[in-house]
Amino acid sequence: MTAVFAGLKVSAFLAWKTIERGNTGTLALTIMIIALIFVNLIFLPSIISGVVETFNTQSIDFDLGNIVVEPREGSQYIGGVTGLQKKIERVPGIIGTSPRIAVGVTLFYRGSNTASTLYGITPEDERSTTRIADFMTEGEFLANGDTDAIVMGAILAGREGEEGGGLPSLEGVMVGDSVEVAYPNDETRTYRVKGIFETQSFGVDTAAFVTGDEASEVLGLHDQASVILVKTEVDGREEGYKRELLSYGIQEEVWTFREKTGGVLDQAIQSFNIINTISTLVSLIIAVVVVFIVIFINTVNRRRQIGILKAIGIDQQIIINSYVLQVLFITAVGALAGIVLAAGMTAYLTAYPLVFPGGPVYPVVETSAVLRSIASLFAVSVLAGYIPAWQVAREDILSAIRG
Amino acid sequence: MIVAEDLTRVYTMGRVKVRALGGVSLTVARGEFVGIMGASGSGKSTLLHILGLLDRPDSGSVTIDGTDVLALSDHRRTLFRLNRLGYVFQDYALIGELTALENVYLTSLVRGDQKEEYLGKSTEILRRVGLGDRINHRQSELSGGEQQRVAIARALVNNPSILLADEPCANLDSQTSKSILDLFARLNEELDQTIVMVSHEDWHKEYFCRVVTLRDGLIEEVTECRRA
Ligand SMILES: Nc1ncnc2c1ncn2[C@@H]1O[C@H](COP(=O)(O)OP(=O)(O)OP(=O)(O)O)[C@@H](O)[C@H]1O
Ligand SMILES: [Mg+2]
Repeated sequence: MTAVFAGLKVSAFLAWKTIERGNTGTLALTIMIIALIFVNLIFLPSIISGVVETFNTQSIDFDLGNIVVEPREGSQYIGGVTGLQKKIERVPGIIGTSPRIAVGVTLFYRGSNTASTLYGITPEDERSTTRIADFMTEGEFLANGDTDAIVMGAILAGREGEEGGGLPSLEGVMVGDSVEVAYPNDETRTYRVKGIFETQSFGVDTAAFVTGDEASEVLGLHDQASVILVKTEVDGREEGYKRELLSYGIQEEVWTFREKTGGVLDQAIQSFNIINTISTLVSLIIAVVVVFIVIFINTVNRRRQIGILKAIGIDQQIIINSYVLQVLFITAVGALAGIVLAAGMTAYLTAYPLVFPGGPVYPVVETSAVLRSIASLFAVSVLAGYIPAWQVAREDILSAIRG
Repeated sequence: MIVAEDLTRVYTMGRVKVRALGGVSLTVARGEFVGIMGASGSGKSTLLHILGLLDRPDSGSVTIDGTDVLALSDHRRTLFRLNRLGYVFQDYALIGELTALENVYLTSLVRGDQKEEYLGKSTEILRRVGLGDRINHRQSELSGGEQQRVAIARALVNNPSILLADEPCANLDSQTSKSILDLFARLNEELDQTIVMVSHEDWHKEYFCRVVTLRDGLIEEVTECRRA
């Protein structure tokens, strides 16, 4: 035991002297490369997590709430909405419900027209459930009792002289303008634009809202809705709330927002993960090659010295370990530098986020991803350092000394 | 004490076989200072490598202080070199990244000695070889003679049972060579240090108790030079 400890002490001593008095340029370069590899290992997963995070928050905040209640199989609308809302809101932890009437409409403004989704909502309920009202760029959100007012997303409102490029656009609607809306039952209404919002979610920014009373009146509905969005106190426990709602005797279809969006996101994540796996493999292979070359050159250049060490009675394991310790040092400092670089990059991308179709994506660095990267980096480096050191150290003493 | 019997060593280079040792027997008693001489290629280094456990003969036996060293595993041989032998190479063979002092105490570190003990011992031995004011210099900051003296200090620091030196003065001027040989003689006389040294300089003979002259891998003659 003491021999093992003394051996490690000698390995550490030799490793440290080599690092301290060796070529600082090569050392710095190697550490830099390890740091960059580390950043590369962290970067893509953090963006993927960011995309998932963005997609989830955007879905909850603007599109679906945490839980979605839909009409049961075969019906187009949920009936007895007011009663149902009360019932849902009695469940502890539910902090808001918002019934929405969804209808496909055609909007007309000056020369242009476009098809989009129009929601009939109760403004007060909508405010308690989604955050659209907080993202008005012009004008105001709807108020209870508005009958001739409409609010719409920035993409739908569009800009003068700019076509939507495939997305619904009225090419420059402003607050105060009048737009004409044709409902599927051939009713047509003219509304004054009360406000324009921008959530950065394409699906939301291409939609328009009127009050539920107005939509009900046009469509001839009474206390009915296409969907009820449910907001819970905390995110991430949707499954539990869903079970709770069902146990309260809700007869309608109940979905968590994840169940509603799952398919799309899962597919995207799968593709992302394939890219990530390739990038991780490439990074790790580069790490292996770099460490291998550095240690290989190091040991080959020191064949003679290694022979001398063995000749004066130093066990080859001590010599091999001294190279492994050098690699550990390089990897540790490299990973540390990598963490600093990654933190800088994360800070930058948080200040200037990447914009994806689902909204702005902030990198989310997960501890597990960092630990995984550090672990894999250490594993491959130690292996890549051990092999050349072992190869040279087991060489016959006299041939090593002869060089 | 070294007892080597009937050592042979043949190098095979492709089809060509070179007989470096053709049956050499040699006994070195404790406290002797033995010189091994002979023409270039006569097998001096080959013999010293075998005695220093750096190489194995093709046949024959080597017993050092009663241990059959050829029967030891590689690991045991490494430990034997560490604890019992001191080896001085022709070209110093120092570790460039280490200072003189660090080069000397490295093997003590491996032996697990206490810090004060090995620092004291190493400083003392460096002072003894005349490098008391050079202990923190690295190889590149030392002259050839100084480097060789560091190598000798390194070989001596653990009080080896036998000091083996392969032409330790080959790269040195005669003034420096003389100081090294004087040092060996002093160690031999004062501390009763057993020394086996390879040389091809005739004037070195006066330092040796006994000279073993090799020729084509065989002992040509053994001369007693001075009484131990
Ligand atoms: N590794 C080797 N491979 C092949 N032949 C070798 C090897 N080492 C030594 N020899 C040969 O063995 C013989 C003895 O070599 P050795 O090195 O023992 O001689 P030496 O007496 O030390 O010579 P020198 O005075 O030049 O150092 C020589 O003919 C040499 O060429
Ligand atoms: Mg020789």
